Amino acid sequence: MRAYFALLLWCTALLATSQTQAALQVVTTTQDLAAIAKAVGGAHVEVHSLTPGTRDPHFAQAKPSMIRKVYDADLLLLIGADMEVGWLPALLRSSRNRQVLPGNPGYLDLSTSVSLLGKPAGPVTRDMGDVHAQGNPHYWLDPDNGRLMAQAIAKRLISLDPDNANDYQRNLTIFEQRLTNKIREWQTALALLKGDKVIAYHTSLVYLARAFNFEIVDEVEPKPGIAPSAAHLNRLIKHINDDNIKLLIMEPYYEQRSARFLQDKTGIRIATVPQSVGANPGINDYIQLFDGVVSALKQAGAL
Amino acid sequence: MQQHKLLLAAACASLFFIHSKISLAADRDSTGQVSLGNLPIHIGLSGLFSAGGSSADTDELAGLQSGGHDPNRNGFTLQNVELSLSSTVDNYFDAQANLIYLIDAEGETVVELEEAFLTTRGLPGGLQVKAGQFFTEFGRQNKQHPHTWAFVDQPVILSRLFGGDGLRSQGARLSWLMPISWYSEFYIGTQNANGETVTSFLYAPGEEVGGHLLRARGADKGSDLLYSVRWLNGVDLSETASMNIGFSGLMGPNSSGADTDTLIYGMDLYLKWQPTRSQRGFPFVAWHTELLKRDYEAGDRADPSHETLNDSGGFSQLLWGFKPGWIAGLRYEYATANGDTAADPLRDDRKRISPTVTWYPSEYSKLRLQYNYDKTEHLADNTNHSLWLQIEFSIGSHAAHTF
Repeated sequence: MRAYFALLLWCTALLATSQTQAALQVVTTTQDLAAIAKAVGGAHVEVHSLTPGTRDPHFAQAKPSMIRKVYDADLLLLIGADMEVGWLPALLRSSRNRQVLPGNPGYLDLSTSVSLLGKPAGPVTRDMGDVHAQGNPHYWLDPDNGRLMAQAIAKRLISLDPDNANDYQRNLTIFEQRLTNKIREWQTALALLKGDKVIAYHTSLVYLARAFNFEIVDEVEPKPGIAPSAAHLNRLIKHINDDNIKLLIMEPYYEQRSARFLQDKTGIRIATVPQSVGANPGINDYIQLFDGVVSALKQAGAL
Repeated sequence: MQQHKLLLAAACASLFFIHSKISLAADRDSTGQVSLGNLPIHIGLSGLFSAGGSSADTDELAGLQSGGHDPNRNGFTLQNVELSLSSTVDNYFDAQANLIYLIDAEGETVVELEEAFLTTRGLPGGLQVKAGQFFTEFGRQNKQHPHTWAFVDQPVILSRLFGGDGLRSQGARLSWLMPISWYSEFYIGTQNANGETVTSFLYAPGEEVGGHLLRARGADKGSDLLYSVRWLNGVDLSETASMNIGFSGLMGPNSSGADTDTLIYGMDLYLKWQPTRSQRGFPFVAWHTELLKRDYEAGDRADPSHETLNDSGGFSQLLWGFKPGWIAGLRYEYATANGDTAADPLRDDRKRISPTVTWYPSEYSKLRLQYNYDKTEHLADNTNHSLWLQIEFSIGSHAAHTF
């Protein structure tokens, strides 16, 4: 009989620890999501990002240490639109946490809270490279989307933890106010780029372009995810010269050789812009991300 | 005692149902959108082919390349065509099935039900049950399907202890994610011990292991099943390095006698380094090592041929993803056994060194070149050289990469 009671106690303790924790455990797939969740959740949440901002989240690999984090999570925030398709499904299967499975309150796919660009009109084949059927998943690079993401996160935090609803609401208001002020500042700083034609490395900076009114007219990659060939680079040289394109922007994790080659041949400026919170030292929150973009563009002489 | 057990079962079952009810209610309250555009069932097809040649002739290659999906002919080998289906069954289970098609040396098409199993989605207490036909949790390599291997062939020691197709059978396993700060998972399982894919255990009558003819042996009691345990740990050593270390053990009957058992144990280590900046997951360095040992009690005690076969071996492989899409690899293997084994291709002293280079044009295709330098005792030429070129395609659902 003693053994039975011990087991019952132990089972109850397990259930209890899994359901009452001081702070909400929030696990995010990227540091951008983590930064926004921290801003909105404040002291009531403990946030862990599964991938660092220095790496391309599409090519992360599920690691056992992630299983532990997802198992402990009350809320999982993801970019969605197939961004994490290579590793998150396997991770969720191993993590045995029903709360954060798709369709449950602990699962929030932020791509459902914004409208996505680049949704292919026709059928998608893999001959097109890494084209995402649901649209381009790099939407956090438009600060207006950051606002929508913060609103969606706040709404979900409030429904999971109604006791602290006022705090979440207040944090959201502060975040939105800061963002509104900063967007004005960034718009002024990037005004020089308005209407400019720009080349990007990958199709990942279209939201940044939309937010700051410049136009991405070509990419270093011939198709998303396909390394450039010599023929493609030669075509780009012609395009750069014909259209008098002055700026090439790219993320820090891409190879620099192709861009340097284009720079040698055409004199085009290269701006290596941080694409995520954590991409460079000193970029620790969502506001600093765009400050970092502005300073990278300044450094490249584009502004 | 019996009563206690019943009470325990009832207590656990009721806790399970309480937990399920909480989750069911949560599902209805859900505000999260189920993303559309995802197929309700994931379907994938991958094909793995190779071409090449060896200083050994095709008959000798059967002993050298003893893995069921190894390139094993001078000329072309269709190694593995795999159809994989997976989906969420309902609120309680996920399910997966992998069907394998291959063409054997006689040109016959062979279909294998490689795996078909279901796993629970959210048992309380960090528990998960897997049931059906599945690869036994032993080491890191045994569970891997041929299209995810880092080399064209499977390690020699696995072919020796687990047979050409890897250790898999029908059964169930429970795993427990331990409530400690790092990832630590404990697996305990039981599976049928008979059949072509359980070669170190009951296997099949008429087969031979280390010169001992296997006889028909019934499998009616709990002690006639194969039992497995595994303890796997994973830690991040730094921002850029992570380590998995596992210990596995197997226990079960073998049919060289009426009352003979086999014990297999092993350890596996996997270290991976990736710099903070990486493009498409490159560059990286990964080091994977496994050591295995088998104690096979051959023949009953009263039998004059009674002996214990001791086999051991291991492999250590280093992979270097030196630029996006390109991986160079080097694998060293050894295998050995006690007794007079020089003529037995599955028990002789063996060393193999395999350098390889793989190019992934995209995530969905690959080309691989591998050279094998082989030292064996059982062939007249103790040294053999083989060169294999492998090509793979993968279509359908984006296959998730597991760690």
